[in-house]
Parts: sequence; C-alpha cells; structure tokens
Amino acid sequence: MTTLRIGMTRMRVMTSKELMQLLRDTVLIIFTIYAFTFDIYWAGSGVSLSLNNAALMVFDGDSSYASRELTSRFREPYFRHVGSLSHSRDTNDVLDKGEAMVTLDIPEGFEQSLLRGEQSTVQMQVDSTNTVLGLLASSYGQQIVGRYGLEVAMKQQGLSADGGISGPILDDRHRVWFNPNQEDSWFMSIAELLTIITVFSMMLPAAAMVREKERGTIEQLLVSPLSAFQVMFSKVLAMTLVIVLLTSISLFLVIGGLFGVPFKGSPWLFLGLSTLYVFTTSGLGLVIATFSRNMAQAGMLIILLIAPMIFLSGAWTPPEAMPTVMRWLMMVSPLHYFIDAGYGVLLKGATFTTLAPQISGMCVLGGLNFALGLWRFRRQFA
Amino acid sequence: MNLYRIQAVISKEWREIVRDRLFLTLAFVVPAMLMLLFGYGLSLDVEDIPFAIVDHDNTQLSRDYASRYTSSRYFDFKGYSQDESLLSKKLSTNELRAYIVIPENFEKNLMAGKPAAVQSILDGTFPARAATSKGYITAINTAYSSELLASYLSKAKGVSAEIAAEALAPVSVSVRYLYNQSLLSTWSIAPKLIMVILMVSPPFLTALGVVREKERGSIYNIYASTVSRAEFLIGKITPYVLMSVVNAIILWVLATFLFGAPFKGDFLFFLLATCIYVMCTTGIGLVISVLVETQVAAMVVTAIATVVPAALYSGVLVPIPSLSGQAQIIAHALPAMYYTNILTGTFLKGTGMADLWQDVLILTLYAAGLFLVGYSLFSKRPRS
Repeated sequence: MTTLRIGMTRMRVMTSKELMQLLRDTVLIIFTIYAFTFDIYWAGSGVSLSLNNAALMVFDGDSSYASRELTSRFREPYFRHVGSLSHSRDTNDVLDKGEAMVTLDIPEGFEQSLLRGEQSTVQMQVDSTNTVLGLLASSYGQQIVGRYGLEVAMKQQGLSADGGISGPILDDRHRVWFNPNQEDSWFMSIAELLTIITVFSMMLPAAAMVREKERGTIEQLLVSPLSAFQVMFSKVLAMTLVIVLLTSISLFLVIGGLFGVPFKGSPWLFLGLSTLYVFTTSGLGLVIATFSRNMAQAGMLIILLIAPMIFLSGAWTPPEAMPTVMRWLMMVSPLHYFIDAGYGVLLKGATFTTLAPQISGMCVLGGLNFALGLWRFRRQFA
Repeated sequence: MNLYRIQAVISKEWREIVRDRLFLTLAFVVPAMLMLLFGYGLSLDVEDIPFAIVDHDNTQLSRDYASRYTSSRYFDFKGYSQDESLLSKKLSTNELRAYIVIPENFEKNLMAGKPAAVQSILDGTFPARAATSKGYITAINTAYSSELLASYLSKAKGVSAEIAAEALAPVSVSVRYLYNQSLLSTWSIAPKLIMVILMVSPPFLTALGVVREKERGSIYNIYASTVSRAEFLIGKITPYVLMSVVNAIILWVLATFLFGAPFKGDFLFFLLATCIYVMCTTGIGLVISVLVETQVAAMVVTAIATVVPAALYSGVLVPIPSLSGQAQIIAHALPAMYYTNILTGTFLKGTGMADLWQDVLILTLYAAGLFLVGYSLFSKRPRS
C-alpha cells in the first residue's frame, strides 16, 4: 500500500515537472493554443474539397437566345464565369495560363440547327491536371447540357408543353445521412482536430524524452528512485493532460460552438477516445525517442511516420480506393482507428459497444508501442 | 561579407551533418520514402464504393436497372437486401457507403409512361466523397432515363430506337481533357508531391539545425566570434539548401521515371524555380529558428506552419478556387501555391518562364523577404 502511494507521489512530482517545463516555453504554448483554436477554425471555415467555382470561359460563336440560355446554366456553385473569349483559338492559351479551368465553345448556327431538329455539338475543354476535378467538371457540364437538350427535345417532340420533363423517367432522390447539407466545415474541422492531436501527441512526448537524452539530464532521472516505466508514463501523462484539455476546448468552442456540428454521440466518449488515442500515439513517439540520439534525428523520424499517417489514414484518401498493400500498412496507424471512431461518435452517434473494434485496435497498438518503448529504454540505460 | 568566413561556417555545419550518420541518412531517405508512400497510396479517386441494393419491385426491369450499378467499376456491389434498417446500421459502421432503394411498382409505372422514384441513401461523413458518389448515381440514372424515354418515344411515334434517342439529345458535348488525356491520377498527384515534400523536409532540417546551437549553448561561440549575422545565417542554411536541391532532383526522378509523370517543360527552368522554392521553405525554417528558443518548440511550430498548410492550402488535396475567405488569403500568403502552378506548368502543360514568370517572381520576393526577416530578428546580443 505504501509503495503504491510513494509510487503515485513520485509520478505526480515527475508529471508536474514536465508540465512546468512545457508551460514555461511561451512560444510553444502560444502555438499550441493557436493550433487547437484558430487553425481549426480557419480550416473548417474556408476549406472545401468539392468542386466549387471552376473558372469557366465561354466562346459563344452563335450569340443567340439558345446559346445564351445554355451558357447561363453553367453557374455557381460549380462554375464561375470569368470571361468570354472572342476567338475559339484562344482557348488553349487561357488554359495554359491557368486563367480558366474549363472552356465552353458553342459553334455558329447552334440555335438554327436546334430549330431544324438536327444534332449539334458543343465543345468543352477541361484542364485535367487535377484529375478528380477535371472529371467532376466534365460530368457536371455533360449533365447541364444533357438536361438542356432534353428539355428542348421534350417541347419539339410534343411530349410536354412547357419543357418540363415527364414520361417514363427515373425520379432521382438522394438522401445524405450524417451530414444532410454536406457541410464541409463539419468534415474539415474534425479532420483538422485529428491532425493537430496527432502532431502534438507524437511530438511532445518524443521531444520531452530526447531532450533529456541530449542534455544529459536523463542520467539524473536514472539515479532517481523512479522506475523506467514511471519516467515514461509521467511524461506521457503530462502531455496527455495538456492535449486532452485543449481538445475539449476545441471540441466544445470551435467544432460544436462555431460550426454547430451536432454531437450525435456523447462528446465525453469522444474525449475518452482522444485520451486513448493520445496515449497510443505517444507510445509511438517514445519508441522514436529511443531510436534517436538528438532532436534532429527524432524530427526526421517523426515526419517519416506522421505525414503518411495524416494523409493516408482515411480522412483524405478513401481506404477502398487504396492499393491492398497500403491498406494493410494503414492498419498499424492508430489514426486509422481514431478517424472511424471520432467521426462515428460525433456524426453517426456511435457508442462504446459499436466502436469495440476500433477501441481494441488502439489498445493493442498502444500496448505494443509502450512495451517496445519500455524495452528499448531499459536496454539503453538500465 | 567575407566569403572565407561563410565557407568556414558551411564546412563546420557540413561536418556536423555528415558525422551524424543517422541524421544524414534520414535527410535523404525520408523525402524519398514519403514520395513512395504517397505516390502509391494517395489517391483522391472515388472508386469501389461499397454499396447495396434494396429491390422492392423485383421485376425484370428493376433487375436490369440494378445491373447498371453492379457492373460499374465505381461501385463495389455487396449484395441485395430487403432489410433497410440493417443497411442503415451498416452505413454507420462503414461497411457500406451507400444503398439504393427501388420502390414497388417500379416496372409498372415506367411501362405506363409514368415516372418512378428511386432513392439513394449516402454516407455524408466525407462530403466530397458523398458528392462524387452522388454524381455517379445521377449519371447512371440519367443514362437509364434517356434510354427509357427513347424506347417510349419510339413506340409512341413508331420510329426506330436510334432515331428516337437522337431526337431526345439534340445537343451533344464533346469533351477534351487537356494535359492529362487519360485522366491518370498519378500524373496529377506525383508532381504535386514534390511540392508537399519540399514544403515539409527543408524547414525541419534548418529549424532544428539552428535551434540546436541555441539550446546547447554552442551559439555563444558564434556570438563571440568575428562571423557577422549574415555570414552565419548564409553559412548555416547553405548545406540544407544544397541537400534539399539534391532531394528535389531525386524526387523529380521518382516522379518521372517511377510514377511515369510526363515532364514537358524545360528542366533548367524547373531546377531554377525549385532552387528558389527550396530557399523559401528553408527560409521558413530559418525564421522559426530565430523566433523560438527550444528544439521542441521549433519542431512543433514547424509542423504546424508547414505540414498543415501543405495539405490544405497548396492545391494538392483541395483546389485553390474552392477555398473561401481566410483560406484564400492563407493560400496566397504561402509559397506552396505558386510552386504548384510551376509544377503543373512544367510537368503537364509544358509551359515555361513566359507563362510562369509571375509565380517565380513572387517566390523570389518571398525567399528574399524571409531571409530579411530572419536577418533582422537574429541578434548576436541576446537580451536575456
């Protein structure tokens, strides 16, 4: 009993030492607070992954009622008119310069051939340097033109008097769940929070460890009565406290408060999951710390792990579109589980039981990381 | 400015880098590894969407309609089901991303010349993915609708199906994809990865290199020496700039030869622009290193100032025109966006100085500005 109490006291002292050291680094603290508030706010309020405002330039060779009607249908949010072209040969030029992403070329005699009931062709040139956007722009364009053509045809064929579409067609009804209005801010603010948590929970404990090694103060810790586990655990505990505190501020003030993300599940469960995730990722940071002798080495190793984790764990790249090898590789990324769990709780109302696979995934990874870190640490110093 | 003293600082820094074997290896291995991982893994294409179908009609027509989805390469068919509540549960556990409900009387209504409603339920957690899936579904539905209409018209008017189909589509679109005709995702991603990686790795190298001296106290040797501020900073960052340029060339080789991205522009122009860009990102590291006192802070600040913007505000994942408000301002205030223009220009479009001089000029000014800021903030007479 007393040994336990003494152990707790020692860890409390060690944890408060770590906290003090962290809080005295003013620049670091300012940046940490910035990252958990403004950075997330800006990412959520301004960033959208969808195709919006694709710059469109039109060469209208017909200048008729029909051609103007068709061009006016290329409108926001997908397209944005940035100008007209006076010659159709200018199209390549504006695309080369990046002034437009899409050009639309309506030939002379467009309206005439429509009235005669002949088929006419409009040209669309799409800058496909970004393939996803190129594909989206062309599919939106084709839909707009197809719909216009159908309305014209409906009138001509006498199927409908007012150009409305009727007859045996499919009435396309979409319902989007979990984010009915497809607010990018919901997705982005959560994605950014997860990124920030990852960055801090990997870097702070790793740095706290490497710093002791680099300065030689680790020797003092080794001769202290604390065990290797107590040293490591206290460091992680201090960082976890800070990160989870800031996460809750960001969760309630920015994500819930400013962006109005409805917490379908319990925000406390989310914070609990965050704590688990911070522990797991910190373990990874500690492993890195045992492999590096100075901060520069640790920094490069952290980048090597953190960048693929952030980009490939599933928030940006759909896992089903990734090659199988990469998908397997991402199974060892704790962020992969936290993305499913985090979005699950906040948007889909997932509970502790439905998230059992993700939680156990993180626990296993965290346990392995700590065990490996501890083993290496003992071997190096004890 | 004394060249001899600059050279002395360079050789001191270089020796320090070379003697740290692990660091030296990592400085070259990390960028190449990131290129490989991202090149194979990072894809924004939405494909193989796991989905299911609820067919309440179960007629020949409804199965024919369903086959449009099951045979599409964009959808990964997980089976028919009658139990919508089970499917909605699977939607929340990520087993499905979408399901489609075909109502009763689907065939009857369509055969009678009346519209039939089909419902698609999508997982909106990732809005961009939901929007793309919705686009696919709409495209399939539109195509199917026009076939139905054409056969209806041909029966009503007694003309052949082809004539009816032509009459219903008086306007056709011919789409030409420029620069990446076959829409290969790696062609568009690989060049931009050079930008992302060069945004992340040089600032880390530089920031840690300078702050290390501060934290260890060895910077007092510099304070007390005859080396001037500018000489010290130039000497300090030159090795890192050179290493990053070498990395840039390695990345270029990987992008063109391994990932097969076409390089249509002028290599010398690319190299020039890349050197300037590397100076910009090294400059970011320099400014950070002057501002902070500890390596922990250097590392965290660099990560927040580079990794996050490289992902969000550079045009690799998120198109610049889709940004709004402050995000546009941030994007324009960072060097990444301009270098992305240069990369897509030199790789895919084959444009050069004539079209891209503005971007190069901005990057040059940016690099000069960063160096000036670093120079004016760095002091050989520390206050504390």
